[in-house]
Amino acid sequence: MWSFCLSALRSGFRSRAVLLILVLGTLLVGVAFLAASFSPRQPQTVTMDVGFSGIRFSLVLFALFWVQELVGREVEKRTVLYALAYPVSRGAYLLGRFFGVLALLAVAAVALGGLLWLSVILSGGEYTQSYAVQTGWPYWLTIGGLWADAAVVAAFALWIASLSTVQMLPVALGALFAVAGKSLGAVLDYLERGADGDQELIGRYGSLLETIQYLLPDLSRLDWRTWPMYGVPLSDAAVSYGLLMGAGYVLLLLAMAVITFSRREFF
Amino acid sequence: MGRRLSLLPLLVMIVGGLVFWLGQSGLKGVKRSRPNAEIEVALPIFVQVALAGGDRYLAASWSVIRALVTETSRMAPEEYPLLGQVQKDASWLNPAHEDNYYIATAILPWEGQVEPTQVILRRATVARFFDYQPPFYYAFNLFHFMGDVQGASEWLRRAAEELPDPDERLTMQDLAASWLDRSQDLDMAARIVDAMAAQAKRKDFAAYLQKRSQRLRDLAALRRAATVYTARRGKPPGSLQDLLSSGLIDSLPVDSFGSGFAIDADGLPVFASSLKK
Repeated sequence: MWSFCLSALRSGFRSRAVLLILVLGTLLVGVAFLAASFSPRQPQTVTMDVGFSGIRFSLVLFALFWVQELVGREVEKRTVLYALAYPVSRGAYLLGRFFGVLALLAVAAVALGGLLWLSVILSGGEYTQSYAVQTGWPYWLTIGGLWADAAVVAAFALWIASLSTVQMLPVALGALFAVAGKSLGAVLDYLERGADGDQELIGRYGSLLETIQYLLPDLSRLDWRTWPMYGVPLSDAAVSYGLLMGAGYVLLLLAMAVITFSRREFF
Repeated sequence: MGRRLSLLPLLVMIVGGLVFWLGQSGLKGVKRSRPNAEIEVALPIFVQVALAGGDRYLAASWSVIRALVTETSRMAPEEYPLLGQVQKDASWLNPAHEDNYYIATAILPWEGQVEPTQVILRRATVARFFDYQPPFYYAFNLFHFMGDVQGASEWLRRAAEELPDPDERLTMQDLAASWLDRSQDLDMAARIVDAMAAQAKRKDFAAYLQKRSQRLRDLAALRRAATVYTARRGKPPGSLQDLLSSGLIDSLPVDSFGSGFAIDADGLPVFASSLKK
């Protein structure tokens, strides 16, 4: 399994498209830096806010791209058969690839996180905000949350790749999953707070969303930016249950992926 | 044969050139339509969230930047409710956004949008429990725009509790007490807008706020003159010209926002824009 993970790491870094995505990530962090110039009173907070969104966007793209590159394309080109010729289970191949993607995502998260960290420090200039941002470990915990978010999306894309015969389907569905999972939190929040008094809306969609919560993970629960940005402390329960939800969903998807991939016929 | 074929592209070229020339010279007389760059639409919250890839913070940042780049000096009166809606949505998406409540307070209530401003400030007070300013502005709006002196005094005391410095806390509590027996005080309003300008990092925004406070000071001066006029003549002035000809003011103040000043039916100097409403 580890040899698959290592080969994933190697080809992940070798691929030229990675450079493109890295450029995109740097660009997004640059946009965050520029967004600060719009802020009349909290430039560093705005840089951090827009930057976190940029990093989340990039990490999800990375995740989808790498799953497609390392599993989807191999299945498509049938080169996966060479790998499966080794005396290992198909599950080991899939898991090795997944851990490879996780490691690649971690490297990307640290690199982009470091870049954003620098721009946050620099965007303050001579102006001192009345409420300072936190660049210590609350910041890095938030980056960790964004990584976990991307990991869930990667697991979903891997599951789709394990059963899909259509190229790009993992990317398309994965992107949809990422948007839906992240939006879910805002929708639930809206209904919980009374939907601006729209009782009919609550009646019609309340129970449906109640069910969806147990099918689709609420990825906004892995977004902890209010802590570094505004110093609003997170409860331990918010972090631990958030991670638990993410990890459980990843396990579920991986198991499903291994099952479908093991039964798959390539000829 | 070859010659006849090469004639066709040449012909097409000439026809193309002619059509191009016709079109181009026709366009010269046509006035360019300039799209209205000011705020025109407020999208439903979930459309905003979906457009931001499900990221509510990104959606909020986007709305606030939109509100910031909107040139309010060019906005039509009917566009302010939209600006209010955009900022209210942003505060729902991210209630702790500091710029959002700050810009909203600086612009919206002065243009008749008191309700959205108060919603934004109430949310910010809850989300930013460490920040004395949202309850402070909330109190000021209650006092200045809504005439709720009791409520204003209560919110001001609430704001005072968040002040870290005990002396400042005492001063604000004192102010809360004194508000109870003061009605419309434009000089105080101007001082508050000045204090907001002093916090701005962006020079253009600070300048914008200073224009606003100058306007309030000019109106305050007109009102003082009108009071003197009424006391001397036994009747309120009918127009600004009356104040000028009676020598109570040296010249008519120029409104940098363009709407100008006027005298309402009760003989009270007001902003001309509020008279139209």
